Amino acid sequence: MYPKMDEKDKLEILKDILFADEHEFEQRISARIEVLEQTLNERNKLSERVDPIIEQQIDEFKASIPTTLGPVITATLKEEIKNSKDEVVDAIYPILGKMVKKYVAQEIKLLSEKIDDQLGFLKRWKRKFRSFVTGVNEEGLMLRDLAATKIEQVLLIEKDSGILKASYAKSQTMDEEMVSGMLTAIKSFVEDAFNQKNQNLELIEYELYHIHIQSFATHFVAVVISGNYITRSKNALQDIIFDFYNSYMAMNLDLIFETASNENSIVPAGKIRLEKELRKYFGNAKI
Amino acid sequence: MLKSKKIVVLGHFGVGKTSLIRRFVTDTFSDNYKVTIGVHITKKVVVISPDNTISMILWDLEGTDDIASIRKAYLLGTHGVVFVFDIARPSTFQHLNDDLKIVSAKIPNTPLLVVGNKIDLVDANELKTTLVENSILVDFLTSAKTGDAVNDLFANLASQLANDA
Repeated sequence: MYPKMDEKDKLEILKDILFADEHEFEQRISARIEVLEQTLNERNKLSERVDPIIEQQIDEFKASIPTTLGPVITATLKEEIKNSKDEVVDAIYPILGKMVKKYVAQEIKLLSEKIDDQLGFLKRWKRKFRSFVTGVNEEGLMLRDLAATKIEQVLLIEKDSGILKASYAKSQTMDEEMVSGMLTAIKSFVEDAFNQKNQNLELIEYELYHIHIQSFATHFVAVVISGNYITRSKNALQDIIFDFYNSYMAMNLDLIFETASNENSIVPAGKIRLEKELRKYFGNAKI
Repeated sequence: MLKSKKIVVLGHFGVGKTSLIRRFVTDTFSDNYKVTIGVHITKKVVVISPDNTISMILWDLEGTDDIASIRKAYLLGTHGVVFVFDIARPSTFQHLNDDLKIVSAKIPNTPLLVVGNKIDLVDANELKTTLVENSILVDFLTSAKTGDAVNDLFANLASQLANDA
């Protein structure tokens, strides 16, 4: 005989049957919470002891980065740059772009100042007249004027010693005798180094300037030019140099001499005379 | 009358060629040694007499242990030569007479002055012994550091050149 159950007991049995799974789940959750609580408590205790050690380790690691990781990072970067040139260019381009932009802006400002100068009243009317006569528009004439090739300085130099015989300069620059010596040394070095017989150094480019060198037997003529130095300018300049040289240097002996006073007598031309002639030949020359 | 003359200063490495020129031209001295590469050119105008002035164009050639290897192109048209050695460094004067023969062959018929530099580094007795033992005939004993005899050396050369055509 089973003992008689009241309603309450029956309800409990039914609850056990229906919520058996939930009960187990609740127990598992409680157990986990208990473990977590324990872990947290232990972690707090542990961190109090371990944290200073870790911080010290981190500090030491930071301090040792330049010596330990530095070379590795540098080598890696080098390798990466080598392997990813396009990416590097992409990264650097905006920075370089800004620099180039700044430089171009500055150059445009300079050009604009020169154009303003060209737009002066008298110059403007002169240009209008030239434009009318030549048929070239004013803008073209203006640009041509801006890029005009100009002779800035002429040096007549003794070839072997580098001694300056005479000079002409639009404006005074550094010591011409030292420049002559240095030009001779550079010329000698280049010609000697390449060991090419009968080959002469003809041109030195120096940013906005060109130094044209015309060699003769015992002297050479160095002409400093600003502006756009093209083949046409070179030909024009050579014509002037040859004319000057034929007039004042005897081609057979290559001695400086006077022809103006007496064709039959050979008298060495002095520095003053030579400089006067240099000014006459090169001073207003258009090349 | 102003005449320009090319003076070549040569010798072994580090004998003080550049320092001598600097002392003469700008009356300064620096302990910082900078090697001359190729050639360095400076100038000093020396007044010999009221109507005779020399513009000395000084070619300071790079030092070399082999004097024969000096570029001939640098020596062309030279009016005067200064050969410098270091009195405190035997390697720069051990073959002095041979070196001078080479120089004379490369630049014949040109005034040449032999200069022992850095006398501030040796005492008088040591200096005499060195010169005698090595049979060195020296024209000037100088010190670019103290300036001893530097002006005399270049003035002497300028006087010799002033008498030339």
